[in-house]
Amino acid sequence: MKITIPRLSQIVFFIIFLVLFINTDYRGKDEINIAINSFFRADPLVLVTYILSTFSFITLLIPALLMVIATFFLGRFFCGWICPLGAFLDFVSLKIKKNSQLKIFKGKFKYYFLFTLLFLSLFNINYGGVFDPIAIFIRFLTFFVYPLFGYVVKSGWGWLYGIFGNKIEFAEGFYKIIKYNILPFRDTFYPLAFLSSFLFILIVFLERYEKRYWCRHLCPLGTLLGIFSKFSIFKRLPKKLCSDCGECKNICPTAFDREILNEENCIICLDCQVKCKFGRVKFSPFKFNIKSANPDLNKRFFINSFIFGFVLSNIFKNGNYNNKLLRPPGVADEKEFLKKCVRCGECMKICLKNALYPSYLEGGVYSLYTPILIPRKGYCEYNCSLCGQVCPTKAIPKLPIEEKKKQVIGIAHFDKNHCLPYAKKTNCLVCEEHCPIPGKAIKIKKRREIGYNDKAFELLEPYVDEKLCNGCGICEYVCPLTGKSGIEVFREKHSF
Amino acid sequence: MNRRNFLKYLAFLGANFAFTKDILAQSKKELAISEGKDYEKITKNAIDALGGISKFVKKGDVVVIKPNIGWDRKPEEGANTHPLVVKAVTEECLKAGARKVKIFDRTCNDPRRCYVNSGMANLLQNIKGVELKHLDNEKYKNYKINGVFIKEWELYEEAINCDVYINIPVAKHHGLTGLTLALKNIMGIMGGNRGYIHREIEESLCDFNSFVKIHLHIVDATRILLRNGPQGGGVKDVKILNTVLASTDPVLADAYATTLFGIKPEEISITKRAYERGLGEININRAKIIKV
Repeated sequence: MKITIPRLSQIVFFIIFLVLFINTDYRGKDEINIAINSFFRADPLVLVTYILSTFSFITLLIPALLMVIATFFLGRFFCGWICPLGAFLDFVSLKIKKNSQLKIFKGKFKYYFLFTLLFLSLFNINYGGVFDPIAIFIRFLTFFVYPLFGYVVKSGWGWLYGIFGNKIEFAEGFYKIIKYNILPFRDTFYPLAFLSSFLFILIVFLERYEKRYWCRHLCPLGTLLGIFSKFSIFKRLPKKLCSDCGECKNICPTAFDREILNEENCIICLDCQVKCKFGRVKFSPFKFNIKSANPDLNKRFFINSFIFGFVLSNIFKNGNYNNKLLRPPGVADEKEFLKKCVRCGECMKICLKNALYPSYLEGGVYSLYTPILIPRKGYCEYNCSLCGQVCPTKAIPKLPIEEKKKQVIGIAHFDKNHCLPYAKKTNCLVCEEHCPIPGKAIKIKKRREIGYNDKAFELLEPYVDEKLCNGCGICEYVCPLTGKSGIEVFREKHSF
Repeated sequence: MNRRNFLKYLAFLGANFAFTKDILAQSKKELAISEGKDYEKITKNAIDALGGISKFVKKGDVVVIKPNIGWDRKPEEGANTHPLVVKAVTEECLKAGARKVKIFDRTCNDPRRCYVNSGMANLLQNIKGVELKHLDNEKYKNYKINGVFIKEWELYEEAINCDVYINIPVAKHHGLTGLTLALKNIMGIMGGNRGYIHREIEESLCDFNSFVKIHLHIVDATRILLRNGPQGGGVKDVKILNTVLASTDPVLADAYATTLFGIKPEEISITKRAYERGLGEININRAKIIKV
């Protein structure tokens, strides 16, 4: 395969994508200097759904705005030059035989799909991120590939160590370099790994029907960019297959379903230009008025999508208030949060103590993949504010560390039927020991008590100072009871 | 037995007794106390007062240093061992010819943050022969402790299989046990659900301290945390003492450190229980105190 400039660009961006992904982690500094969330901030689908659901704009998303403007001039170059999922598909597609047809998603399906998502956003359900190609890729990596990769390498090393013991000390330096720079620091497995991998594998599976099947017929980001590119001044010529050759139909990964170029699908990969034996293909600006094969989107189409969007935005509404639905620090309002959250998984990737997990149905269907804090599995590190720093839409606000410490995630409550001092007259206080609030949100009441052996002793009973507790959850995390914790954090708000 | 033999026997016994008494007098427990604002220097002085590091570390030894790096706190907040104290001990070990110095702790907060914010990473990471390490899961091994409360537990193998183990706790307040000092610092090499031992903390800590061979205890009292321990979080809870203690006897070191808080050694139940179980000397008057 010849490496053309677009291919080179794909490779470069793919490497950047992976490097940013791996470095979405704590690297010894409280602040993240490079824009680790660049791909989302330059993602027009994120931008459009954000604007539609919140009716506002944030400066974080300026790159996405620039991307939209660039698409107006250059067409769907994002798909052919930048998109890491597209690059991955181009790469694996070479090995996959195209042996059958799949018709159900062809035609207008992708427009219905995109506009339903957009109308959903308008009705406050920002579901764009669930089907955003970059989010799909990141989630696949975060929830499935990366933990598994870490587990395999670490347990492989553990196995070697078990056999050879200190004899392999010489290789330890090398292993440590990999361990601290590439592998995940913590061993976390995520509950929604199956769904994330399913979606991703489905996209790869579709490659057996056509090259870039997802990009052509489904991808909402690609469709959106396609609509913008309709006005592009930079277009491929000729618009049709030449009658004496027609090889473009085989070369083109996306745009030649028929005799006529489907402009909205052209991803400017320049393959046809490079491979044309006659030198006829050109990509030149300022050629208008040539009819192309775009399906027209009429009034009826919009009404239909509108109705879909409206019905879908209400049909799965969650009536239950779930008091274990703890959101990351700084999230004040659940509704606002759902309008902004891209569900990209960045916060869960970076969370130091794996407190954040993707929600499945805890918050209803509409909160799928949004981050929730599960204190029994991990707690919010008191001095850390990384999740707010990587969030591309400020769904988790970026706060100065002193502000972040005051954000109330929930309030801890003792369960006196389980907690040792109360339930078994046994001293414990592991929660009090770990409480990070200066002055301690868990306080101690000393009491003379007659033990079960009839001897008097001093019992230390912990209690929560609700004025100080910010619900970081370390108490629930460290509670030494196996099974149910003697202290639990519930969603409750109070202000400092 | 005739008379002559009996007399011989008596003489032999007498000589023996005199000799043993001599040894007993010699083995009076020593505690070095060093004061001053240069933390590296006072640490070195304290070690020298005990006879120098070469008494413990021989050429080619693998040394494990176990400071307290448990919390994501800065040195001035008094929750972790002061990095300069650790650095001084490390340098002494290397000077004595140690092949490798391993420094680690099982932290309570995120290990990366603890190592960085405690100041350890900055001071110790790039010294040749020193490994400031995060713990590896595969190195926890199950050991038969056979103690009073703990029958078996996972411990960090490197801390058990080393030539010299130096314990460097920081003296600070603790909600459950009153204070946390040398005896409690051993929790940093424990695997598993450590919180479990809180329900019988005195016996558990004595069990572990009887099982693990620790050669030297250096208590960092350069600044002590008076309230809201063990992780503090406010400089107002910290009192600066500019003191470092060193001893081979953890009970003695703890007993003296307790007095720095204005508390009687017997009031700390761990120290008291450890004395009762014969782990060391609680009575400071019976020890040899060397002030430098």
